[in-house]
Parts: sequence; structure tokens; C-alpha cells
Amino acid sequence: MSHTWDFATIIQNWYVLWIGLKGTVFIFLVTVILGLSGGLIIGICRYAPSRALSWPAMAFVEVFRNTPVLVQIIWFYYAFPILTGIDVDPFLAAVLGISLNTMAFSAEIYRAGIQSIEPGQWEAGKAIGMTYNQSLRRVILPVAIKRVLPALTNRGIEVFKMSTLASVVAYVETLNQANLLADLNFNPIEAYTAVAVIFFVVLYPVVQGTYVLERVLKKGD
Amino acid sequence: MVEWNFIAVFSDFDLLLIGLLNTLKITALALLFGVPLGLVFALSRLSKFLPLSFTAAFIIEFFRTTPPLVQLFWFFFALPILIDVRMTPFIAAVVTFSIQSSAFFAEIFRGGIQSIDKGQWEGAKAIGMSYRQSLIRIILPQAVKRMIPAFMERSIELLKTTTLVSTVAYADLMFQANDLAQKTFRPLEVYTVVALMYFVLIFVFSQMSILVEKRLAQSGESTVR
Repeated sequence: MSHTWDFATIIQNWYVLWIGLKGTVFIFLVTVILGLSGGLIIGICRYAPSRALSWPAMAFVEVFRNTPVLVQIIWFYYAFPILTGIDVDPFLAAVLGISLNTMAFSAEIYRAGIQSIEPGQWEAGKAIGMTYNQSLRRVILPVAIKRVLPALTNRGIEVFKMSTLASVVAYVETLNQANLLADLNFNPIEAYTAVAVIFFVVLYPVVQGTYVLERVLKKGD
Repeated sequence: MVEWNFIAVFSDFDLLLIGLLNTLKITALALLFGVPLGLVFALSRLSKFLPLSFTAAFIIEFFRTTPPLVQLFWFFFALPILIDVRMTPFIAAVVTFSIQSSAFFAEIFRGGIQSIDKGQWEGAKAIGMSYRQSLIRIILPQAVKRMIPAFMERSIELLKTTTLVSTVAYADLMFQANDLAQKTFRPLEVYTVVALMYFVLIFVFSQMSILVEKRLAQSGESTVR
């Protein structure tokens, strides 16, 4: 069977995908900011000498790393409101699922970064009279975060792709809009190809950028 | 206060078990096809023949940078228009996850192969081995051992990603959960139980992979990230 590709309906309705892309970028920004900053706090707690801090952090990380994101989103959408009585809209469900998942993954990245710093750095901080928190903030974290920057950007790329899962609870993002286009114009092939191309065009330069970043950081170390 | 009631969930627990089995089936099949395909992509990308290496690089990057859900929809809704096949959710799922994971496996293979010292290739050549022979007898056995931790991590990711097949109505654990939640009107209990099932399954696999990683670290052959 031969198929004649016809992108005319996609181009005519470009604003439908444009609205979707704006939704994708918006939810990406919210989840990546919440995820990476929350992850830093959890990562620090996970590393902390106090068990009252490190155990809950560890439990959080294990729970959210070992369950699929889709299950988390669906759980927050259908189960969480029953449990708490809080109204959860598609956006909130997707943000909760994706950002908590990202927190768990980035917490492990930050922890690995902190652990990779030589103990001498801690000792030096202590020797010049810094407290644990001061050494962490002034000496350890700046170096640790620089080291894990490539891993964090990879997480960011994953989050951008993960945002498509929000379409499952009908949040308006690129894939959800493509479903709409495909249903209206009976052209799933062009609609989904367009989405794939959009993601490739956005993420490919970012991925190449991370390779450059990795090389630059390697040189600097 | 919410009253938890698990009776409805557990009286239809066999539905969830069928789903669990299907989840494992998709994962296993995707691994079965994805790993060899990944090796082919990796070798093509490392090839000195530029058109081949560019094509492989493009395929790998394309499948790594597009969301798996978009790929799944493409294979399920779009591919049958392009070629004359009867697409079922099962075929779409196996095809998507085989290719998607093969792109990631390809990068793991490439990293493993490139991490092997050049002297090993030269040594093999010096005793008269062809490219193919050196690869199979000398390079891959060492590379594969170094790849195991990354390989296991990716397989666990794959297991989690298979939940997406529920969106094209393949009866995996997630789909069965949606079904059961609608039937019993107890989404809280159903989704909590299913989240726990996934947790236990994936937790066991990740603990196993940590054990293997420690074992490998002892024998001095590991690429701990």
C-alpha cells in the first residue's frame, strides 16, 4: 500500500500543535525546576549523618524510583483526591507525578556528587572553623554540582520527554494536541510524525550541547 | 476519613496477575529483540563506512530524543497506513520497545566497546585475527562484562516504560488496573495495590542489580558511574 504524505492539514492547523508545545514547555519548566531543586534538598538529607533525615529521604527515593511515572500520575489523578479530598486537575496530577519522580532521581545524582568529593575538603572546611552546613554550602556543593551537571542535564532531557505522559490524563500538551489533530483530520501518520520531529528538533541540539558540556567539564577538572 | 476496602481488589486479583504476566512478557520480548538490535546499531555506528555509521547514529539519536509514548502511537496508528500490516497493541508494543531500547543498548554497547584498550585490538590483529574474530573472541567478552550494570539499569527502565502500552489497550498491569478501578469503583485501593506491585517487582530487580554490581566491582571489572 502506498501512502501519499500530506502535511497540508498539519500546516494549516499549526497553531493547534503550537498551543500543545507551549503546554509541553510550561509543564517541563514547572516539573524540572521543582524536581531538580527538591532533589537537591532530598539528596542532602539522604547524605546527612542524622538518620532522622537520611531514612525518610531514602524511603522517598526508593518509592519514587521504583515505580513507573505513569502509575504515579494516574495514582495522583484518581486515588489521591479520594484520600485527601483535594481536587486534582490533569495539570496538578502530571506535575506531582513527574516532579516527585524527578526529585527522587536527581536526589541520587546530587548524593553521588557529594560523595565523590574527597574527605579532605570536609576536613579543610572544618579546620578553618566552618560548621557542617557552611562547609556543605561553600566548599562541597559548588564542586559537587559542577561534577554532576551532565547527569542533571540528562535528567532534564528525560523530563522533557516524560511530559508527554501528561496527555494520558488529558493535559493539553503536544501529544494530546496531536491526538486531537489525528482524530479531526484522520491523518495520524502526519500528526504523530510531526510530533516526533518536533521533539527531535528541540532535543537533538540539547543532547549535542550536553556532549560539549561534558568535554568542557572534563578539561576543567 | 477514608475507609480502605481491599475486598473488591483481592477478589479480582487474578486480573492483576494476568496484567503482571503480560508486563513481564512485553519486557522480555523487548529485551530479546532490543539487545541484539542494539549491538547491530552500535557496530554500525562504530563502522568506518561513513554512510552506515551516519545512518546508525541518526536512528539512535532519533529514538533517544523522541518520547516513547509518541513512538508507540506512531507504530500503532501511523505504521499500518504506511505499510499493509494488521497492527495489534501487542505487536506495536513489542516493536516500539524493541527499537526504543535498542537505541539505548546501542550506546551502552558502544561505550563498552570503546572502553576496551586499543592494545587489545592490536594484540588480536598481531596474532592474525580478522576484525570479526577479534570482536567476538577478544573485545566483546570484556566489553559485555563492563556493560552489565548499565545494561541492568536500562532493563529496569524498560520495565517501567512498558506501562505506556496500557494507552493502546494492551492488557498489561497498568491497563488491568484501569479496568479494575472502573469495574469496582475503588480507584484508591486498586491503584495503590498496583503501585505496590510495581514497587516490589522493580525493587527486587534493582536490589539484584546492586548485588551484581558489587560482585563485579570486587572482580575489578566494572564501570561504576
